[in-house]
Amino acid sequence: MLTNPILKSLRNIYLYIAFWLVEGVIYFLLISFGMKAGYRIAIFDSLVFNFILAGLGLSFWYPAIYISIDNRISYKTFLTHMAGGIIASCLWLAIGFFIITNFLNSAAYSNFFYSTLAWRFFIGLLFYFLITSFYYLIIYYNSLQEKTLKESELKSLVTEAELKSLKFQINPHFIFNSLNSMSALTTIEPDRAKSMILKLADFLRYTLANNGKDKNRLEEELKNIKLYLEIEKIRFEDKFDFFEEIEPEALNVKVPNMILQPLFENAIKHAVYDSLEKITILLKCKMEGRFLVISVENNFENGYSKKGTGIGLQNIKSRLELIYNEKNLLEIKKEGDKFRVILYIPT
Amino acid sequence: MSDTYTAIIIDDETLAREIIKNYLSDHNEITISAECTNGFDGIKKINELKPDLVFLDIQMPKLNGFELLELLDKPPVIIFSTAYDHFALKAFEANAADYLLKPYSKERFDEAIQKAFLPLKNKTEQSVLINKLIAQNDSKNEYLERIVIKDGPRINIVQIEDVKYLEAQDDYVMIYSSEGKFLKQKTMKYFEEHLDPVDFVRIHRSYIAGIKRIKKIELLEKETYQVILEDKACLPVSKTGYDKLKEILK
Repeated sequence: MLTNPILKSLRNIYLYIAFWLVEGVIYFLLISFGMKAGYRIAIFDSLVFNFILAGLGLSFWYPAIYISIDNRISYKTFLTHMAGGIIASCLWLAIGFFIITNFLNSAAYSNFFYSTLAWRFFIGLLFYFLITSFYYLIIYYNSLQEKTLKESELKSLVTEAELKSLKFQINPHFIFNSLNSMSALTTIEPDRAKSMILKLADFLRYTLANNGKDKNRLEEELKNIKLYLEIEKIRFEDKFDFFEEIEPEALNVKVPNMILQPLFENAIKHAVYDSLEKITILLKCKMEGRFLVISVENNFENGYSKKGTGIGLQNIKSRLELIYNEKNLLEIKKEGDKFRVILYIPT
Repeated sequence: MSDTYTAIIIDDETLAREIIKNYLSDHNEITISAECTNGFDGIKKINELKPDLVFLDIQMPKLNGFELLELLDKPPVIIFSTAYDHFALKAFEANAADYLLKPYSKERFDEAIQKAFLPLKNKTEQSVLINKLIAQNDSKNEYLERIVIKDGPRINIVQIEDVKYLEAQDDYVMIYSSEGKFLKQKTMKYFEEHLDPVDFVRIHRSYIAGIKRIKKIELLEKETYQVILEDKACLPVSKTGYDKLKEILK
């Protein structure tokens, strides 16, 4: 930020030189034809003064960055720049005059210089303000760009964090209760204990291994869901039945990882934990236009279903919205003693 | 130890009950008089069989462990078990109650039984402990989903969705629901803190109203208002209550 933007690239330096060449030519034409100064004088004058101004112009970068105008131009900054402009202009004229008189040493030039001194002074001032304004523009443009870049970076960071927080997390209740069941099975039915341990291990492995991934094939997700249901079946024996109707082409569609798990956990938690009757969970997956439609349905015991189902489902909804950038990809239906959640996965 | 004791196991998971039975098999002094799969059944069996000892799981369908405790007149000695419940653990630890964390070993189980024998000989301490546990559990900042009320031998479970309004009555609170009215021994402050403010508002020192039940607010006389509920019940509104209502219904 501290280096002059003109000196940052060769291209900018060339542009700057080109600008001063053009400016030098105009300057030359003005004084040779406009003011009828002789060729010699006009060439020397335009060469020296423009060369010096080009050099000084580079140094005007420093007042521009040290005197910041964040919101509004105050009285004080204006006066500071005025002083800067006067000093720069005087310096410009003094150096230029000193150099030219060293070479030319003619009274004609001195006369010409003194007669145009007031104009020269104002031109110096004008260039000071023009060049510093140009620098201010560059500074403003750069900070604006930086801001938008930072903003978009921040936005993607927030989205990432949001997605992370919405991702499925293993329910510790499930883990510890499963371990308790296994502990009981080891003494009562060691064979079943072994099969339950293997199932839990597979379930945990899939869940942990896929935490970093975004999407998986539906087939793999369903395999894991079935492991989960088999484990819950050992815990709850005959408290629930599971049925599925799945179109074969649906199996290859990629879905956000672990997106179905909370739906089944909900069904188990609200229907099975909180119910004394047998619960039926029905899973349907089919293709409908550009969507894979997944519906999870369960019946519940009326009057005993807990109210607080919102958060888990809200999380899925937000997650789908963030991933697919589309709204209304989750639908909840409650009809009689049936609770149905439908996901629309864009393919 | 020549005394023998009776015990009831309350847990919704078969295998969790199995392991308790398995661990109890070499405790000849304890006989199992019943096994229950939910809190509802549990409270019935406790009142019926009056066991000395209860193995109680905290998370259960219909009536959880703490709700069950509230309904006991003379609590037996209770050995709690839970898989993972921060709040329950805090309550147990704060009140020095013994509890089993699932899964637990035979040694840990035996230790809990040994500890249980002490209060078995001194029952008054047990009810003090249980009251403390209930109080501690009440301080949990979770909103209620249901209210459990004991009415003689009957247990009523009022779903929060069915509650119309609550009225203070000395040390009790009368709960008016679509299923009728029920008296519960709790304070208005308790209900104010444990009912979701999205659904309920304290409109008066003695009244909490269900927001969705409010039909209209009427000006009674200068600066005095009352609300009319959908079932035509009229409740007085205090000044602060009116400000709260205004804020909510804005």
